[in-house]
Amino acid sequence: MRFVPRSETAPAWTAFCYGVALAVFFLLSALVVLSVGGSPGKAFAALFKGSLGTWNAVGGTLAKATPLILTGLSAAIAYRARIWSIGQEGQVVFGAVAGYGATLWFGLAGPFGIAVALLCGALGGAALGLVSGVLEARFRVNVIISTVLLNYCVGYLLLWLLQPGLWGEVGQTISYQQSAPVADSLFLPAIPGLSKVHLGGLVALVLTIAVGILIGRTRLGFEIRGFGLNPRAMVARGVNAGALILAVMAISGALSGLAGIGQVLGESHRLRPDALAGFGYTGIVVALIGRSSAVGTLIAALFFGALAAGGLTMKVMADIPSALVTAMQGIALISFLLAEIASLYQPVRPVRDGGAA
Amino acid sequence: MSDLFSTTILFAILIAALKMATPLLISALGELVAQRAGNWNMAVEGTMLTAAYAAYVVVVLTGSPALALGVAIAAGLVVAAVNGFLTVVLKLDQFVAGLALNLLASGITLFWFRAGLQGKGTPTFASLSPISEGPFAGLYPMTVFAFALAPLIWWFLERTRPGLELRCLGENPEALDLRGVNVRRGQMLALLFAGGMTGLAGGFLMLAFSDRFVPDFTGGRGWLVVVAIIAGNWRPGRVLAAVLFFAALEALAVQSRVGGSFLPEQLLLAMPYLLSLALMALFRSKSLEPAALGIPYRRR
Amino acid sequence: MKTMKLLEVYRLSKRFGRTVANDELTFDVLKGELHCLFGENGAGKSTLSACLTGFHKPDSGAIMLNGREVVFATPAAALDAGIGICRQHFSLVERFTVLENIVLGTEREHLRFDLATARARVAALCERLGLTIDPDAPVAMLAVGERQWVEILKALYHEVRLLILDEPTAVLTPAESARLFAIIDRLRGDGLAVILISHKLTEVMATDRITVLRRGRAVATVRPAEVTPVQLTALMMGEEPPPVPARTLRHKGEVVLEVEGISVPGPRHDFRLEGAPLAVRSGEILGLAGVAGNGQREFLDALTGLARPTQGTVRLCGEDMTSASPARWMAAGAGSIPEDRYAEAMIGEFSIAENVALGWHRTARLSRGPFLSRARMADFARDAIERFGVKQAGPKTQARALSGGNAQRVVAAREIARARHLLVANQPARGLDIGAVAFLYGEILRAAEAGAAVVLASEEAEDLLAVADRIAVFFKGRIMGVVDARTASLAEIGAMMAGRAA
Repeated sequence: MRFVPRSETAPAWTAFCYGVALAVFFLLSALVVLSVGGSPGKAFAALFKGSLGTWNAVGGTLAKATPLILTGLSAAIAYRARIWSIGQEGQVVFGAVAGYGATLWFGLAGPFGIAVALLCGALGGAALGLVSGVLEARFRVNVIISTVLLNYCVGYLLLWLLQPGLWGEVGQTISYQQSAPVADSLFLPAIPGLSKVHLGGLVALVLTIAVGILIGRTRLGFEIRGFGLNPRAMVARGVNAGALILAVMAISGALSGLAGIGQVLGESHRLRPDALAGFGYTGIVVALIGRSSAVGTLIAALFFGALAAGGLTMKVMADIPSALVTAMQGIALISFLLAEIASLYQPVRPVRDGGAA
Repeated sequence: MSDLFSTTILFAILIAALKMATPLLISALGELVAQRAGNWNMAVEGTMLTAAYAAYVVVVLTGSPALALGVAIAAGLVVAAVNGFLTVVLKLDQFVAGLALNLLASGITLFWFRAGLQGKGTPTFASLSPISEGPFAGLYPMTVFAFALAPLIWWFLERTRPGLELRCLGENPEALDLRGVNVRRGQMLALLFAGGMTGLAGGFLMLAFSDRFVPDFTGGRGWLVVVAIIAGNWRPGRVLAAVLFFAALEALAVQSRVGGSFLPEQLLLAMPYLLSLALMALFRSKSLEPAALGIPYRRR
Repeated sequence: MKTMKLLEVYRLSKRFGRTVANDELTFDVLKGELHCLFGENGAGKSTLSACLTGFHKPDSGAIMLNGREVVFATPAAALDAGIGICRQHFSLVERFTVLENIVLGTEREHLRFDLATARARVAALCERLGLTIDPDAPVAMLAVGERQWVEILKALYHEVRLLILDEPTAVLTPAESARLFAIIDRLRGDGLAVILISHKLTEVMATDRITVLRRGRAVATVRPAEVTPVQLTALMMGEEPPPVPARTLRHKGEVVLEVEGISVPGPRHDFRLEGAPLAVRSGEILGLAGVAGNGQREFLDALTGLARPTQGTVRLCGEDMTSASPARWMAAGAGSIPEDRYAEAMIGEFSIAENVALGWHRTARLSRGPFLSRARMADFARDAIERFGVKQAGPKTQARALSGGNAQRVVAAREIARARHLLVANQPARGLDIGAVAFLYGEILRAAEAGAAVVLASEEAEDLLAVADRIAVFFKGRIMGVVDARTASLAEIGAMMAGRAA
């Protein structure tokens, strides 16, 4: 049985590949659970119960998915342009810092304060994204490298800010740094009926539609898609590469920054490193699995939100460390990447060599 | 800050810098071979982390640093083999494959750590100590190996037949394919070498720098390796210089935390990253990036 | 005299997915013969070469060397059996020296090369062939013609009994081509058999036998004495060849393009325009002759905004465009058909509708505010498909599914539509089937008739002599002379291509 490249993709075969990928995903995750002596059955049951089992659980899933939708969109829009930004992690933090700082400096309160804080968060993320954008466009510094390095720098920045003398809350220890909480009036309101989901979820959904329209129907989106597929041809036909890179990095940064400040105002209500960690890198996985489309990102984000929500239950019910969820993210990514590759090939039965002299 | 510059302090910084350069250099030279062969091999951070954790488990369970190093190398080889399968055989995008492996590695090691593969909680071990007396006191044998590796790699790449073929893989693999040389095998071997070296580096990092594993133990060093190669313009000598530079910065940061300085600790820790960015932006000599780097080879 | 069959190919077939590249091919090559494989692009010549050199494994059929069947598991096996090849697209490593490129893949049992012996062997080979090449020169520094010699040296460095040359004279001047065939004759005297893949009829008619390929099948094997070039072309196409596009009488209007004293940096040669300014009028076609790589690219980049001249001026309709961006050139009414359509002009994964929108997407023609109008794009595409004869395709067809000829029609449609004043075309006919070539030149002539100034670069001087009004000949970054295409001769142009001033 050999595999040869297809001339065009067949939907049935593609669906089959993704189905197999899903099965492989569960199989490999089960193996990881088994490797520490756990029970895959109990683990998966707990995952399901904690994510979709009750209405409350669904709310938790949506709440966990909210930042992932935003960071996923952030990565997706960059990856459509083949700008491999890994900076979502740092942009989340910087957005949170910028938004939180705004609440302090401007003395924000009430719905207007929420809007301003969210805006500042987005602007903060955009600013950090632009740093990498300028480094790439003007100085030809590889985006992957600069975003990763900036992630680490921003991490240190946050630690510095959370010192007792600055934003750090009085009475904290080194290993549990956090800031003072934001004013009550700045807490994001919850969606009626789904108590765990806050306004940020709605914003995320709206932005999904907006990004989808941007990529699919606008001139900028056309340039983004074309640039990702063939930058040379796009530049030859008038696209300003530098301007495009800056625009994409700004939008991408803004989305991640919004995720960061959204988490601060909606979930943790204060600046805490561990409350902001991980969304960026997970967003990358979400975008890749969602094939960098708006809808795909939404679906993948919901899937990973379910995993995250279920992870907590899994810890309690099956005594499996919730770090399994991080491992499962990596497994999911690889499984789906394999599916994508497989969908481009088709199996052929070996041709019998009939040639005779 | 002035007491930072007394001779004993400077000497201590030098020794610390050499120690810190060791794992970076070993990993960077291995990674250089992979990149000269045309593969970005972005999974350095994940490989290093996995190897460090593997070394930790082995040394805690068996008490043998030598065995731990061996298993660390093996862990590096395994990750490299997976990466090779994804990028060379399946021709997956090298960045994406590398990122996926980094994620997988950080997730699985954290999971195993929390699940207690090494035993309950966080057992400690006796970390490797340097040579205790004589003219080389304070140095590690591994450091000598690392510095000897640089000219060796140079000689291999520039003065041997397999070295020419490896460089060709990174410049124009089709030229080799047309001559009947197995391109896939060459690329896989290069990746395995890089994985083994990074594994060794991760193992050494674990055994010599700490007495226990913590989450995200490697802290971005894998990425500094990639930066060092780009900053070193893919030449062994310059990569060595870049690595020494980073190591010196890190040693300075640690020393100032002990000795005290007016610069915030976080800024000093961020220095290697900030300066890398600045240097890459300002100094762009004619890039010697391998022409086929990142392009999966397909027969036309 | 008994002539032995060196190579016999019997019912060789090879398919890729659903495409049949080689279909029951049967032909043979005698010892010392110069055998031509003649066919259009896509006829199966490259696949056949790949099978003969172990690059691809045939699905069925047999290959026999000296009467014994051989199966090549790897390209190394084919090399060991004495089959060498110079491919059309060079496989040289630019960063390596000539010597390194030649020894690459040899001495696999050694850890270090025996460079002294290799150097001597290469020197002897050069002397035997009458070539002078510096073995320590990095290939990046060599001109395209010199690189062809390096490719030949590479092939002959091994013991070869059969040498396949794929379009070897594509990058050679007429003088260098003559030299190549003289070398080939000398080698044939020693028993070497040569398969020549060429589409240049003058070369084809000078071979011993010609095997015509069409759609993967060997349609006929004939001796040059038995056919006329027209019959040969008809065999290759399977139908009557279309009429050769010829120069039309056009009214030449105002000066549209004026280039003076420019200097454009390039990887090997800077292009410099010395002496009197170059002016192209409305309705005029200026041909650029010369082997690609002699400055044409740099010159044309200055006319499209992809390169900025370090000195001098470029004017379009009186406006200074010296440092204009591609967007400004397009807005000023200039269209450009680049050399490599898939790398520079099209996006394979995009549909035809999206491809024709490139460069138009920010104009009112296709957009409404920040939004792209899919309806207008589809209309534009349908119009282009119909007027430019893109076959078996609709606005939604993916560009990479198109044949070379169809893809070029899409590019031409898009660019000629915007070429109100200037049309720049770089090797537009390269790699196209004869039907597409005729159509394309026809459209270019029509654009000139509509008033555009046309700058057309081509390696086929014969095409330029037929179509252009004046011809500028490029050599090492300079224009050696500008001649009247109606009165110039091929010999004259060939001399200038080789460096002799007008």
